[in-house]
Amino acid sequence: MKNWADQPARAITRRKLLQASATGAALAAFPAPLIAQTKPFAGVTLHGASFQHRFFTLLQKYIPEFEEQTGMKVDLQLSAFPVYNQQANLELSSGGSAYDFVNVTFILAARWVAAGLLANLDEFTGDSNMTPAEWNPKDFVEGAQVPYRDAKGGTYGYSWEGGAMVMGLSRMDLMEKKGLKIPKTFAELQQVCAEINGTDGVNGIVSFQLHHWNLPPYIQGFGGNIFKNPPGDIMPALNKPETIEGIELYARLLKSAPKGVLTYTEDQARQSLLTGRSNIFIHSSAWVTPILLSEESKVKDTSRVVRMPAGPVHDHPASNSQGLGIPKNAKNKKAAWEFIKWALSPDISMRLVKEHGHSSVCRRSIITSDTYRKLNTVNGQDLGALYLEVLELPAKGENYMAYRTVKEFPIVGDVLNKAFEQVATGQLPAKDAMNAAQDQAIAALRRAGTQL
Amino acid sequence: MNQGGIDGERRAFIAFALTPSLIVLFAVAVLPAIYLVVTSLTPFQLTAPGSATDFGAPLRNYGLLPGDPRFVNSLAVQAKLSFWGVLFQVLLGMLLALLLNVPSRFVEFARTFFLIPMVLPPIVVAVIWKLIYTPDISPLYYAAQALHFTLPALTSSVDFALTAIIIADTWEWLPFTFLMVLAALQTIPDEYSEAALVDGANRLQIFWYVTLPFITPILVISGMFRLIDSVKAFPLIFLLTSGGPGTVTEVTNYYAYLLAFDTNEIGYSSAVTVVMLLLVAGISLGLVWMGRRREAMA
Repeated sequence: MKNWADQPARAITRRKLLQASATGAALAAFPAPLIAQTKPFAGVTLHGASFQHRFFTLLQKYIPEFEEQTGMKVDLQLSAFPVYNQQANLELSSGGSAYDFVNVTFILAARWVAAGLLANLDEFTGDSNMTPAEWNPKDFVEGAQVPYRDAKGGTYGYSWEGGAMVMGLSRMDLMEKKGLKIPKTFAELQQVCAEINGTDGVNGIVSFQLHHWNLPPYIQGFGGNIFKNPPGDIMPALNKPETIEGIELYARLLKSAPKGVLTYTEDQARQSLLTGRSNIFIHSSAWVTPILLSEESKVKDTSRVVRMPAGPVHDHPASNSQGLGIPKNAKNKKAAWEFIKWALSPDISMRLVKEHGHSSVCRRSIITSDTYRKLNTVNGQDLGALYLEVLELPAKGENYMAYRTVKEFPIVGDVLNKAFEQVATGQLPAKDAMNAAQDQAIAALRRAGTQL
Repeated sequence: MNQGGIDGERRAFIAFALTPSLIVLFAVAVLPAIYLVVTSLTPFQLTAPGSATDFGAPLRNYGLLPGDPRFVNSLAVQAKLSFWGVLFQVLLGMLLALLLNVPSRFVEFARTFFLIPMVLPPIVVAVIWKLIYTPDISPLYYAAQALHFTLPALTSSVDFALTAIIIADTWEWLPFTFLMVLAALQTIPDEYSEAALVDGANRLQIFWYVTLPFITPILVISGMFRLIDSVKAFPLIFLLTSGGPGTVTEVTNYYAYLLAFDTNEIGYSSAVTVVMLLLVAGISLGLVWMGRRREAMA
């Protein structure tokens, strides 16, 4: 017979068990505030935006670490280049606070800085509680920082990507066979392109459709410029004899380029170089050095990467950078600075180099380190030294890249693009095309409200 | 309740039922259009705070348009693209429909494949033709080379760039006109053709006197639709030629895009867009009017 005296005892035991469980749950909840207190930005969602780039693709692999360290949640929005620029322009100019950090696009940096749309980062770097000494703002290559400073020397961005224009040669074997040396002047460049073109099915040179990036070094090489004297005097100078000379030279060079080069994208040009279908490509180092560094390259053994040839008057290879900054009206400025500080730290920069071969960082200490040198020296060529040499140039003497950062450049650059294509396709002689371009540029600037 | 009252209630109910849809339509279509027009009256630039509300010279943007050679050129390019594109699409669509208007299971199956280009996303079509037009990797150029025929880079050629765009656009939208004409052909009673055949008419005469009159209305309608839609060739132009070489393939909406995205001249870009929309609307109304007049005369 069942002993009913046992029932109360079992019922009591279960109740006690439930009570104990509840107590345990309460105790388990107790440490939560303590955990939160060890992460000063717990609960903060950081909103950032940039155009799509390999740097951010790689950085996203490390962001979980940052989130774990800080307690932040990072929402990084990446868009196509023109889309991002428009979004950012609209957001910043309207005083919005949707983003806590943004990419400071090279061609837009000057106007954003001048318009007061970005926060002055000196407020953060000058506070030892917010920025440790080892972060060292002065470690960034000076030339790469030029776009992010105002007239008083205030800093509104720090560079994450350097673009140093260099020349890649993929078929040194053909050049040696023909007794050709690496060209150091525009005249030699033209000769090499013409002599190599068609040899063994190889084009003398390859380029891509962004003419207003490729052209200016030739124009400046002859002593011309896009504007009369940027940034102060932004009267277009497209019809000057020196400018026309640069246009004509570049048009002649493209006669040794693949069919359809006027509509080539950067990827097409890069691929043409990597496969050895074209001998020369002159562009930012990140697009050229893959002939030596990339597994895709079929011409590693016959490639060289050197300085772009010099013009008769100037030696001004293009040099630019992209930076990270904080909108003036950002809601979480301190959190944003924590992110920028982390993303551009010596540690992350080195990891990008070592773990992913991403070499276009802007910290001098990284670029000159033994590790970087070892990883970026191929066939006896120190690519890092070359990269650094060109990246420094805009900070030495005149800032010859000023033409590109004035707010008038997009308008005039677009006119230049169209005019050059008219020359390259024989629609108009260079002089006529550039005279027309000058008039169009002036009209367009005045339409946009520019005082000339 | 009398009939008048009932009718009143019915109208009130209909108005009530339509209100949500009209609100959505207003929000989705009318408001953006109004904003576009309002913006076109300003010198709005994305890097000029306050310019969005500067109505000091409301007609300035429109006044600048006639003197903008690039805008005028873009209208001419658009006209060429629209005319030749629509012409080829209608004619080839009709031809294809005539060829495939056969009661055959195989032909019916084959017709399905002809619709593929029309259902592909426009950007995919552009990528396909990008591959076809890129000399380094295109089978077209390999074939030409094998035949010892020198083919220029079509998209970089002053003489052929616009033609290249027209070919791609025709390939993309040919199925539309084909489908429209095919549907019209299948509504033609067989008796008319049979009677003409009995009377001794040949195939060409049957087409000209029997088939064509039947399908003319649908040709006009499909042509009108294609004409209106031809201003949407943007993906092809963006990917294949970027409006070049020079401005040879720069149509009006691409020029508006450059103004907005490259040079941030939103106000002026809006004016360009408004004018383009007005022109398209005007052409549409003109075609409708011509159609109605033709019906009245018949």
